[in-house]
Amino acid sequence: MKDLQRLRTSLKEEVELALNAQIKMEAEASSKYLAMASWCEVNGFLYSAKYFYKQSEEEREHMLKIFHYLADQGVMAYSPEVGAVPHEYPSFRSVFETALQSEINVTHSINRLVSLCRRVEDYATENFLQWFVKEQVEEEINARRALELFDVIGEEGIGRFTIDRNVYKITKLEVE
Amino acid sequence: MSLNVSLHELYRTSKGVTYQCDLTNRIVLNFADQVMAFRMADFVLFRRKAERVNLHEMIFNLDDEYDFEVLEAPKSDQKLVLTLCDLVQLRDLLAGTQFTLNLNSMLHEVLYTYSY
Repeated sequence: MKDLQRLRTSLKEEVELALNAQIKMEAEASSKYLAMASWCEVNGFLYSAKYFYKQSEEEREHMLKIFHYLADQGVMAYSPEVGAVPHEYPSFRSVFETALQSEINVTHSINRLVSLCRRVEDYATENFLQWFVKEQVEEEINARRALELFDVIGEEGIGRFTIDRNVYKITKLEVE
Repeated sequence: MSLNVSLHELYRTSKGVTYQCDLTNRIVLNFADQVMAFRMADFVLFRRKAERVNLHEMIFNLDDEYDFEVLEAPKSDQKLVLTLCDLVQLRDLLAGTQFTLNLNSMLHEVLYTYSY
């Protein structure tokens, strides 16, 4: 009797479902960054808006990376349903605090995925996920650095204006 | 004769039976006098579709539309019109089938890896 299950894919069902859940999480992160970019642009923080637009694109790229991996493995990747995301923030600083928390949540999720892969001995997917582990280190550094600017520069006087101009330097972005 | 060799029973309940066809690589489902054949990927989709039906809603919602659930088989014109009891029976059959497929896969990994 043939092993149809293994012929279809090397992925265990729990890994497949967890990767699909990660796709959804990346899509939601992308949507949240877009909302942050919108808030920043409307409130005159153009450099920060540019930074968040870029972050939004990156999250979508992460989502597609997992999407293609699932398809390559012969299983269905589900285009995620993304619900409403917050568009209101009490302050300029709180936008960056939300961004950092979002990155921390993604890091936790990636770590749980790696643990799952080890548990079910899916070393190929674990290897695939190592790129995300490294990427999350960088994402958290960037998000934390942005928040540091608030402490280093201060928000008084032209503080927020200066912070905004320095945010883009975190990833060396240019504002058109 | 070759048909018998290539068709393996996977799971049987009082309401239906599933087979694996090694000639076509299909899972054959015989349920409520209907026979459907699925590619492995489609079988998984169909099983998940059956699992996603909200049984609680079917039990407690008194609207007529909740008396039946229509499940379409992927890539075929066939569909099953199921009552609550049918759905429970179908889920049982599909879950049992999946269990056998997993077990077979596990046995292949453990027993046959070095024999090819």
